[in-house]
Amino acid sequence: MNLNPFWSMSTNTGRKVRERSSFSALKANFCQVHPTHKREERQKNRIFKSSQRDSHTLKRSDGEEQSGEQQQQRASPARPSFGKKQLPSIPKNAVPITKPASPAATAQLANGTHASYGPFYLEYSLLAEFTLVIKQKLPGIYVQPSYKSALMWFGVIFIRHGLYQDGVFKFTVYIPDNYPDGECPRVVFDIPVFHPLVDPVSGELDVRRAFTKWRRNHNHIWQVLMYARTVFYKINTMEPLNPEAAVLYDKDVQLFKSKVVDSVKLCNSHLFDQPKMDDPYAISFSSWNPAIHDEAKERMFSHKRRPEDHQKGLPVSGLSWVKPGSTQPFSKDDNPPLS
Amino acid sequence: MVANGNRDGRQGEALVLKGVDPETCMIVFKNHWAQVVKILEKHDPLRSNTSSNMASAVQNYVEHMLFLLMEEDAGQAGAMGPILEFVVMENVMERLFLWSLRRQFTDDMKLEQLKMYEMIVGQARQPLLHHKPVLRPLMMLLSSCSGTAGPEVEAELVSLLNQLCCVLAKDQSVLELFFHTSEDQGAANFLIFSLLIPFIHREGLVGQQARDALLLIMSLSAENQRVAQHIAENTYFCPVLATGLSGLYSSLPTKLEVPGEEWHCLHREDWLQMPTLVQFLNSLEFCNAVIQVAHPSIRDQLVSYIYNGFLVPVLAPALHKLTLEEVMTTTAYLDLFVRSVSEPILLQTFLSFILLHRHENVHILDTLVSRINTPFQLGTVSLALFQTLIGLYCEDVMLQLILRYLIPCNHMMLSQRRVVKERDFYSVSAAKILALTPSCCSPEHSPPPLRQLDSILWSKGTDNSPNTDPSGDHPPPHQEHAQIYLDVNYLHYLYNARLGISSCTRACQVWSAPYDGEDPPPEEYQPSALEEAGARGRQAQTVNPKRSHPHPRPRPPCPPQTTDPAPTNQLELEWDDSYDAGPVVPPEAATAESSRPPQPPAAEPPKHIQEMRRTAIMLVKGSYIEESDFQDDVMVYDLVAKKDARDTVDRRRPSRETLPESDMDSEFTLEEDHFKVSSLQEKDEVPLSNGLSLPPHPTNMEVNSLEVTKGSKEVKAHVADHNSNLQSPLATEVGDDLMDQYEELIRTLGSDEAGTGGSSHVKTVDKEFRNPVVTPMEEDEVDFSSFSVDTPELEKQHSSLFGTKLRSGSTRSHSVPFTGPFVSVLLSRLENMLDNSLHVNLLLTGILAQLAAYPQPLLQSFLLNTNMVFQPSVRSLYQVLASLKNQIEQQASTKKDFPELITSAQHCLLARESSLKGQDTNSGDSRECSPLEAGRMMKSSPPPQPKTISLARTEVFATVLFTEFLKELAAIAQEHSILSHVPMEE
Repeated sequence: MNLNPFWSMSTNTGRKVRERSSFSALKANFCQVHPTHKREERQKNRIFKSSQRDSHTLKRSDGEEQSGEQQQQRASPARPSFGKKQLPSIPKNAVPITKPASPAATAQLANGTHASYGPFYLEYSLLAEFTLVIKQKLPGIYVQPSYKSALMWFGVIFIRHGLYQDGVFKFTVYIPDNYPDGECPRVVFDIPVFHPLVDPVSGELDVRRAFTKWRRNHNHIWQVLMYARTVFYKINTMEPLNPEAAVLYDKDVQLFKSKVVDSVKLCNSHLFDQPKMDDPYAISFSSWNPAIHDEAKERMFSHKRRPEDHQKGLPVSGLSWVKPGSTQPFSKDDNPPLS
Repeated sequence: MVANGNRDGRQGEALVLKGVDPETCMIVFKNHWAQVVKILEKHDPLRSNTSSNMASAVQNYVEHMLFLLMEEDAGQAGAMGPILEFVVMENVMERLFLWSLRRQFTDDMKLEQLKMYEMIVGQARQPLLHHKPVLRPLMMLLSSCSGTAGPEVEAELVSLLNQLCCVLAKDQSVLELFFHTSEDQGAANFLIFSLLIPFIHREGLVGQQARDALLLIMSLSAENQRVAQHIAENTYFCPVLATGLSGLYSSLPTKLEVPGEEWHCLHREDWLQMPTLVQFLNSLEFCNAVIQVAHPSIRDQLVSYIYNGFLVPVLAPALHKLTLEEVMTTTAYLDLFVRSVSEPILLQTFLSFILLHRHENVHILDTLVSRINTPFQLGTVSLALFQTLIGLYCEDVMLQLILRYLIPCNHMMLSQRRVVKERDFYSVSAAKILALTPSCCSPEHSPPPLRQLDSILWSKGTDNSPNTDPSGDHPPPHQEHAQIYLDVNYLHYLYNARLGISSCTRACQVWSAPYDGEDPPPEEYQPSALEEAGARGRQAQTVNPKRSHPHPRPRPPCPPQTTDPAPTNQLELEWDDSYDAGPVVPPEAATAESSRPPQPPAAEPPKHIQEMRRTAIMLVKGSYIEESDFQDDVMVYDLVAKKDARDTVDRRRPSRETLPESDMDSEFTLEEDHFKVSSLQEKDEVPLSNGLSLPPHPTNMEVNSLEVTKGSKEVKAHVADHNSNLQSPLATEVGDDLMDQYEELIRTLGSDEAGTGGSSHVKTVDKEFRNPVVTPMEEDEVDFSSFSVDTPELEKQHSSLFGTKLRSGSTRSHSVPFTGPFVSVLLSRLENMLDNSLHVNLLLTGILAQLAAYPQPLLQSFLLNTNMVFQPSVRSLYQVLASLKNQIEQQASTKKDFPELITSAQHCLLARESSLKGQDTNSGDSRECSPLEAGRMMKSSPPPQPKTISLARTEVFATVLFTEFLKELAAIAQEHSILSHVPMEE
C-alpha cells in the first residue's frame, strides 16, 4: 500500500492541533524541533500545578493547562532558537559515542537531599536524553514524551525502503524509573509488526539483545531508537521473539515478504485509530484537512527563516570587540564602528 | 498674486483664505510700515534721544506687522506672499534691527528682538528663513547676543536657537543659507551651532533645550558631511563636551554620605537627591546620545576626548585618591556611569579604560579587583561594580577577568580537557552541590511555615497498554503515582536559571569564540604565550584608544585649541594638564620594560610590603591570621604542578622544612586547596598575585601574618624598620641566598625528573626562576617615598587598602595553574562567608550565580562541574562550598540554639524579601535579592516571627544563604545540562 502523502499526524487534543497544528507526515521532522521546550515547560508546569493544588490526581482541564503555559511563555524571554534544523537527508552514522565513565556516579544518591531533589534529577536526565535525540536527527523517527510522565515516550517510525517500505509503525518507549541505572528502555509497537525480533502478541521489540547491560553515560535513548529503526533494514533471525517470522525469513523469503506486506498494510490501516494511550501528547494521525493542515504546512516551510527574523527583531544584548582568533580585548580591527 | 521670487520652488502650505482678505492685510501692513519708517527717519537714535514713546510706538506697529506676516499664507506654487515679498524688498527686518542697534542695545531690547524672531520663525506659515533679508538680521542679532548676557536673554537665545535647529532638521535646504550668511557676517561658520556650545552643560531647561538643539544638529551631521566636517574640525564641540564632563565631575561630592552598611551602589533614588550628579548624568547621557546619532567623525573624536580628557586625566586619579571614602565614592560613580551608558561605542570607551588603562603602571582593572577584598564599604561597592560589568555579557570583560586564565586549560589535569565540553546527563553535579546542604538546613528540617516541601504527584508512567502487554512481567496496566515530597522552591530556581542562561546564551552569540577548551585552542594560549601576547596587546592598547578614536581625524589645519573664538570662556572648565599627554606609557617604554634584563628577586619593592603591612593593621577582625607556614608550600606546589602538567602523576610533597623562605611567586598559594584563606591579608595578597602583576613575595605574607598577631603598634614600628631595611643593600644579599636555595631545590626535583625525560623542562624552570621577571622597582620607590614622608598615618593606612600597587605587564611564573585574580578574590571572599555581612554575601553569591549562568564550557566546567579534576593548586568553587559546609556543621554542632536561630533568620530574610519586592520596582538592581527569591514561594502570609535576630549573627544568615545558594547553583547546573546542549548551531 502506498503512503498517502497527505496524511497528517497530530496529537489528539484540540489544543494540540491549534498550538502545534498538524503536519505532513513527510515533513514531520519539524515536530522534533519543537517539543523540547514545550516539554520542559510542561514538566515544570506539571510539578508546579500539582503542587499548588496539592492534589493527588492529575486531572486537569485543557483551559487550565493552557493558561499556565501561556503565563510561563510570557514570563520567559524568547528561547534559543531550536528551529534552524532542516530535513535530515542523510542518515547519521550510528556509532554510539563512547563517553568516559564518570566515577562518583551515585555515591551521594543516598544522601538526604536526594529524597527532595531526586525527581528533578530524573526529569532533567530524561530531558537531556530527549535533547540528545533531537540532536541526532534520526531519519524517519519521531518521538514525543508523554504528558503524564517523562518515563513514557510516544513515537512513530517511517520505513522508507527495504522489505518494510512504506511501513508507519507507532510505538511507545518505556523508561525504567530508576533510569539511568536500571535496564534498558523498552520499545513496544502499538500493533505487533511481523518481524523476527518483535513479539507477535505484545508487540515488544527485543531491545535488550543490543543493550545487554544499560550503561549510564555510554548508552542513550537515541541509540535504542536507532536500533528500532535498524531492525527493519537489517533482519536478524537469531533467538527470535517471533520464531515463525525467523524461520520464514531463513527458509522462504517470498512468503516472509508477503507476510510483511500484509503486516505493513494492517498497521497502516490502523493509522488513523485513536491513540492507545489517553494522553494529550500521544501521537495521532488524521486525514488531510486543508482547513487545518495547509496553514501548518505553510508555517513549517517558512520555519527555516523564522529564527533569523526573530533575531533581527531582538536587540543583541551581548557585546564583543574581540577579533576572532584573538584573545585580546578590543582587538577588532575596525574598532569603533561596530554594529 | 505676483508671480515673483519663486526662489526655491518649495511648496508652501496650502492656500487658505482667512477671514480677513489678504489685500486688506497688505494695506494695513504697508501703512504700519510707513508709520514706522517715519519714526525711524525722524528719530535717528544716534542724533536725538529716542523717546520711549517713540520706541513703544514702533514696538506696537511692529507687533501688528509681524502678526500679519505670520498669518500670511504662501503664494501659489510656493511663491512669497505679498507681505513677505514686501518685507524682503523693503528690507524691513534689517532696518528694524539696525535701528535697535543704534539705540542702546540693552538686554531688554535683545529680548524683544529674540522673541520677535522666535515668534515669526515658529509660527509663520511660509518659510521665512530662506530669504536673506530675514536671515541676515537674525544672524546679526544672534551674534550680538553671543557675548555676555543676562540669564533671561540666554534663555530666550537658546530657545530661539532650538527653534532654528528644529527648522534645520525639517528643512535641510536652509542649512546652506546658514553657512553662507555666516560667511557674509565674517563670523565663524554655522553660528547657531557655536552659540549653543556654551550651554551644553547648563542645568535646567536652558541646558536641556540647548542639548536637544545640538542633538538635532548631530543627527543632521550623520547625513551631511559638511556639517560633520565643520563640527569636527572647526568647533570646540567635542572637547567642550568631554572635558565638560571633567568639570562637572569635579563638582561632585568627593565623599558620599552612605545611607547604611547595606548600601553598595547608587540607585536612582540616591542620585536624584544630588543635583550635581544629576547634572553630570545629563551631560553623560547627552554624550551617549551624540555618539548614537552623530557622524562617525564626530563620534570618534568625542569618544577620544572622553577617553583622553575625562577618563584618563580625571577618573583614573580619582580612583586612586587617598582616603577610603573617596575611592569608594569614585568606584560607585564609575559603576553608575557604566550603568548609565548604553551606546556600545561609549561603553567600549569606558570598558577599555577599565580593562586596559594603566594608572601609574597599574591596570585599573587590577586595582579594582584587588579592592574587592578590602573590608568596609569599598569592597562591597567594588563587588557591585563587577556585578555590573559581568552583567554586560561582554566578551572582552569576561576575557580579561576570567577566561584568559582558563583558556590554556592549565587549571585542570591534562586528562580532563576532554571533559570540558562534556554534558552532565544525570545532574550529577547538581546532586553533589545539593548534597552539601547543611543538615540543619535540609528541607525536611524546616518547621511548617518555612517548609518548602510540598507533596507532588510523581507519575511513573508505567506501561498501561493492556492489549499489548500480556506477558505479565511488567507492572499492572495503570498509571502509577508516587507521592513525593519535593523542595518546591527549587522550581523557582530552575525557572530563574533557565531565564538567566538563555538570555546569557543569546547575548553571547555575538562573541568571537565558544571558549570550549578547543576554541581558542589551549596550546596556542599557554600562559607564556598569553603573557607575551598580553604585553603586546597591552602595548598596542596604550596606543589603541588614540588610534581607534582618532583625534580630529587628519588634524585640521587649524586645531580647535587655537582658533575658536572661545565659547568656552563661560564655562570655567577644568582642563587637565595631562589632557594631551596621551593615556600611557609610550610603546618604546613598554617594550623596554618587558625586555629589561632580569633582576634578582631580592630587589623587592618596598612599597609592597609596606602596603601589605598597613593593610594588616587596618584589619578589624582578629580572625584574619594566616597560617604562617603556608608559603613554604608555594614552591612545592609550583613544582608539583609543573610535574603534573606533564602528566607525571607523582604528587610527592617534599617536607616543608627543606624549603627555603620563598621569595618567589606566591601567587598560587591562594589557590592552594588546603590553605584556609579567611584573611584580609590574602585580600591584599590576591591582587598582587594576579597574572598581570609581578609575583609578590611570600616573605611579605609572612611578615604580614606575624605582624597581625603582634598587634598594630608594633607593626607600625616594624613597617618603618622594614622599609629602611629594604632600601639597604642587605636585601639583595638575602635575595641571592634565596636564589641559591631555590636552585638547589630545583636541582633536586630536576634529578628526580631526569629519568622521565624532564631535564629540558628543568632547564626552563630554572630559567624562569632565574629570571624572575621585571621588578619595576623604580616607580614603586617613587611612590613609596612620597608616602613615607609626611602623609598622616591614617591616610597612609587607608591608601594602602585600596592603593595596592600592582605591577602590571609583568610575567608571572609561567604554566603555574592559576584561574586569575578575580576568581581568587571571589572565592576567598566566599570562603569567608560566615563572617561576611548579609549584603556582602548576597552580592557575592549573586555574582557567582551570574558567572555560572554563562554558557561557555570553560567557565561552566570550572564553576559547576563537580567531577572535574583540577590541578592541586587550583581552588574550585566546589571546594570552597564544601569547606563552608564543614564550617557550618561545626557551628551547628557547637551552638545549641542554632536551629532556632536559623529559623529566625529565614523569617527575617523572607520579610526582607517581601519588603524588597514592594519597593523593587524602580530600583534597577533587582539581582541582589534573587538568591532568596525562594521567599516568593511562601504560601500565604508570613507567620509571626518567632524571635528577632540580629543581623550581626552573620554566620546564621550566611548558613541560610548558603543553602539557598546551593540550590541556585544546582538549578543552574541542571538547566545547563539541557539548554547548553540544545542544538543552536547550523
